[in-house]
Amino acid sequence: MAVGSAGQAIQASTPSRKPRREMSDTRFAFLIGLPVLVFLMLVVAYPLGYAIYMSLHQIVFFGGYRANFVGLKNFIDVWSDKSFINAIWITLRFTVESVVLTMILGLCLASIMNQRIRMAGLVRTLLFLPWCVSSYAAGLMFGQLVRGQTGILTTISFTFGGTQGVDLMGRATVVEVLAVANAWLMAPLVAFFLLANMKTIPKRLYDLAAIDRLTAWETFRYVTLPPLQFTLFVFASITTVLSMKMFDMILIMTGGGPGTASATLTYQIYKRSFKDLNLGYGAAMSFYLLFFILGATFLIYLVWGRRVSR
Amino acid sequence: MKRREFGLLAGTAGLALMSGAGRVLAQDMDLKPTSGETVYFRGWNFRTDVVQANVARYNEAMDGKVDYATVTGDYPALMEQNLMASAELDMFYANPSSACRYFDAGWVLPANELPAYAEIEAELYPNLKDAWTYKGKLLGLSYFASTRGTMVVNRKLFEEYGFTDADLPKNWDEVYDLIYRMKDKGIETPFLPHWFGEWFGISWGFVLEVINRGGTIADAETHQPTITTDEDGPYYKTLAAWKKLWQSGMIAQEVFTFNEGGYIDAFASGRYVMSPQQIYDIETFNRPGRSQIAGSCSLVPMGDHPWGIIDSGLYVMSNRERSEALTDDVKKFVSWYGFKDQDGKIAIAQNWMQENMLFSGYKSVMESPETAERIKKAIMRPEDYDAILKIYQNTPFPKGIWSVVWSEEFNPFLKETLSSFLFDDGDIVETLEAMTAKIEELNGKYGI
Repeated sequence: MAVGSAGQAIQASTPSRKPRREMSDTRFAFLIGLPVLVFLMLVVAYPLGYAIYMSLHQIVFFGGYRANFVGLKNFIDVWSDKSFINAIWITLRFTVESVVLTMILGLCLASIMNQRIRMAGLVRTLLFLPWCVSSYAAGLMFGQLVRGQTGILTTISFTFGGTQGVDLMGRATVVEVLAVANAWLMAPLVAFFLLANMKTIPKRLYDLAAIDRLTAWETFRYVTLPPLQFTLFVFASITTVLSMKMFDMILIMTGGGPGTASATLTYQIYKRSFKDLNLGYGAAMSFYLLFFILGATFLIYLVWGRRVSR
Repeated sequence: MKRREFGLLAGTAGLALMSGAGRVLAQDMDLKPTSGETVYFRGWNFRTDVVQANVARYNEAMDGKVDYATVTGDYPALMEQNLMASAELDMFYANPSSACRYFDAGWVLPANELPAYAEIEAELYPNLKDAWTYKGKLLGLSYFASTRGTMVVNRKLFEEYGFTDADLPKNWDEVYDLIYRMKDKGIETPFLPHWFGEWFGISWGFVLEVINRGGTIADAETHQPTITTDEDGPYYKTLAAWKKLWQSGMIAQEVFTFNEGGYIDAFASGRYVMSPQQIYDIETFNRPGRSQIAGSCSLVPMGDHPWGIIDSGLYVMSNRERSEALTDDVKKFVSWYGFKDQDGKIAIAQNWMQENMLFSGYKSVMESPETAERIKKAIMRPEDYDAILKIYQNTPFPKGIWSVVWSEEFNPFLKETLSSFLFDDGDIVETLEAMTAKIEELNGKYGI
């Protein structure tokens, strides 16, 4: 009886002793991420959903608010809009130039900071400063620097006896000027990540390169650059997205001009949405911008990222 | 004097004194806020130091709670977003063209609601009152009223190349003739056109020239397009003159990216001989230390037609949801700031005249001896005073395209169309037809 009782007691207590099944990693991750997901639903999904709604409607504010359903009309009309086609090319030109310049400048700055130089801390601080400047302020500053009336090149020209101002805000060069200003803003961040990456390259590789009598260029090409490929790919993607989204600097510096020479997609979206107050059409345009951004980053991944991330 | 007569006299004098003091006191009391809530005042960036000082004076003298801040950037678009979002906004700057649009959306409380409306109405110049009235309502109170497109002349360069008063143009055709004559005489940049990059740049440049040449662009009442394509008409002639000027290579592309400051600086640099400018900027051009042509800037007197168009700013009251007491406070502040202060003086407008020579819509400001003295101090030659007043009093207003709900949508279209017309060597007739089509489209959109 006692044994039986004990056995029964053991049996009775067995279920409670059985270890609780552990939560799977997926479930745990989901639970941890749930608040963020809810937050994202609120701050991303709602505006996105509303943007989809607007893109399918013609919104009228004056004479009483009205939203007339127009289906895909806005998405179709965009393709017969010359300013949209023009904006695609300008955006493409601006983005490619910005990304190439940012990568080159970032690499140069990182290489400089990777050297043993005096007052390295001060140099790093100074080189990082442009990243801290708002794109609005950068737009104002570059605008002053490159205009024929107030620009630095005009000052140099006049100092050396020139009689004509040098204007870089013309149609031929305005996008390049914007790309330089954009690269000036973004390159420090790229440089610091590249620098961190450079610091992980074993010193003995450089010693071996010296024994093999590699030139400075060869050392850079075969020792320094290969480990940086992944960081370069990541930042090429990031700067592509940021450049395609760039707006405030363009608005302040050129206002899309002269004419429409620097009217990128973001500028056209702003103009259609908030100046023409054609919110549906502007929303449709913004979805095209989203597709272009996704397409561009996917393309970078296909031709570069897949190779370097292995 | 008999005791009875003395008593009567003393009593009358006492009553008179009391009624006078009472009136001042009543006015003081009337303008004092009572709700204890904040009144929000927003404007564009112009002499924010002066505005801040004015607001501080109100807050101190009237125990007010006015919060002043500026809206930086594309002002009409940003202000529209603020109003649409029912932002905390009680009084703000607006051009009449924007104010019409806001009025139609129900965002504006017209100045007719102000207790002193009858007095305000009597004080305003009729042409300005007409420009600022929309659907029978006065949209706001006078901030400034100017002539944009006053043809200013850099006399230093003008005379250096042998030109005299006899050469001054009387109309826009003569302006272009003179430009090419100056070029032939060796002046590299004789003319700075109104083609700069602001929302009131190239588009207003076209509007003012066409209006000066006798055009209307759209009918003042029906807002139907009135643009013609005949070669002798004001529209065709304007674009033909622009095309020729642009193709002559005299105008740098950077002009299209100038902001207003850049446009003023360009003329103040002394490189140009003539330019359509804001009438009050004559003071800027003649100010030593600010301008390289200080003391040499004059203007072209009115000839066959007026120069320019009315460019004005209003203090507009918003119609947002707020307590009745706060609405009363807003009206008090708008009255104090945009019309008369507690001492019965149009102090703010007079102060603007002294500070920046901003012209006012109020007769008593413009006709005051202080104003005459201020203008005379800012001009190059005594005869310019009469020329300024004559231009100012005869300036037209493009009611057909500015007193209509779609004004701020037509304006950016015009800016882009005109820039493309010049850069891409556009066809004149096609460009004019595109303008007509746009007006028809906008009329259709708003059921006009």
